[in-house]
Amino acid sequence: MKERSCSSAVLIILAALWSVSAQADWALNMTEGVTEVSRSIYSLHMQIFWICVVIAIAVFSVMFWSIIHHRKSVGAKAEQFHENTTVELIWTIVPVLILVAMAVPATTTLIEMYDTSDSDVDIQVTGYQWKWQYQYLGEDLSFFSNLSTNPDEINNKVEKNKNYLLEVDEPLVVPIGKKIRFLVTSNDVIHSWWVPAFAVKRDAIPGFINESWTRIDEVGTYRGQCAELCGKDHGFMPIVVQAVTDEDYALWLTEKKASIAAEVAAAARVWSLEELMVRGEQVYQKNCAACHQVGGQGISPMFPALKASAIATQAEQRDAHIKIVLEGRAGTAMQAYGAQLSAVELAAVITYERNAWGNDTGDIITPQSIQSMLKSK
Amino acid sequence: MNIWKVFKAVFSAFIGVQSEKNRLEDFQANSPIPFILVGILMVLIFIFSLVYLVNFMVYLM
Repeated sequence: MKERSCSSAVLIILAALWSVSAQADWALNMTEGVTEVSRSIYSLHMQIFWICVVIAIAVFSVMFWSIIHHRKSVGAKAEQFHENTTVELIWTIVPVLILVAMAVPATTTLIEMYDTSDSDVDIQVTGYQWKWQYQYLGEDLSFFSNLSTNPDEINNKVEKNKNYLLEVDEPLVVPIGKKIRFLVTSNDVIHSWWVPAFAVKRDAIPGFINESWTRIDEVGTYRGQCAELCGKDHGFMPIVVQAVTDEDYALWLTEKKASIAAEVAAAARVWSLEELMVRGEQVYQKNCAACHQVGGQGISPMFPALKASAIATQAEQRDAHIKIVLEGRAGTAMQAYGAQLSAVELAAVITYERNAWGNDTGDIITPQSIQSMLKSK
Repeated sequence: MNIWKVFKAVFSAFIGVQSEKNRLEDFQANSPIPFILVGILMVLIFIFSLVYLVNFMVYLM
């Protein structure tokens, strides 16, 4: 009776486990990916996994068989000997042969992974606390890719969408079927650019350029994350790559360059306070809110408050305020945004900081004044 | 103590398998110097054969 209830309990648990795994559709294994290299890494992983399974079954079978058949209660007597060179040689040589057999295909794949020659598209990937910059070498195109998840989802005020923390404002766009070389580096601390579907994970180290490459087979959106703990918002600097056809890529390049040119042209026109405030709020959310917080209160003592602060409210501190935004502050997380944002964005965000949250200075910082400050530097 | 026996002893140490009989025999030697010199030589041979192997593989690909 007891045995029966025991085995039925095991059955119930097994059935429950099976239905959980079937329903939740979770995968424990790594992704097969969408590139030749990622598929060969996946098949290496599976080959080695099955080799391990076979070894484990063989070793544990022999072990349990020995334990049961040579147990003391059936009168087994232990042999008293010190060594057996033959057996020792066998258990040394057999693993060496297995390791060499695994090393041959692994080396082939590794050499393939490191061969960054003859690329069609070169992209410099630079890690920042906490965003990625993509520079298309030879294309005069460069932009930043920021997290675009709604802060309300992060703060559990609304339901999280399925790409929660894996979505950005400006994805990296690349053509399929082309060899794309990534030159990975960093502006501040060590990051790591990781996109599982391409089997590319390369450390971004300040002062070094690490190379990697991929050739994507299928059109699609591929997501990744920073894979090296890089500070407070390490989990908030995702990677989104859009792989498109050659024609779409050419089209995107033209449009992207046109929109950057339009942004530059917009600096010449007159901006009203209202326009700057609307634009400034967007820029602030993307670039400043991570540290100085949405309400401008900062996080004491690491990230100073802007709300009701001297620098963002006093007229005589106006130029100092602009200077810090443009040039950053050495030794802190405050970056030099002069090199990262357009003149319009800089003017808008500084105007926003001087007028939001009751800072009401009425100051309008014009894109032209930002441009002249950047030039005089 | 002939040199062939020293090589055999050092190789046994490399792979970590040595019979008690040979070990006792090796410890009858008058001086450890031949074992040390042969050990250093074999480590160098091991390192350079790895370097050569890697270069050869990269050259093949």
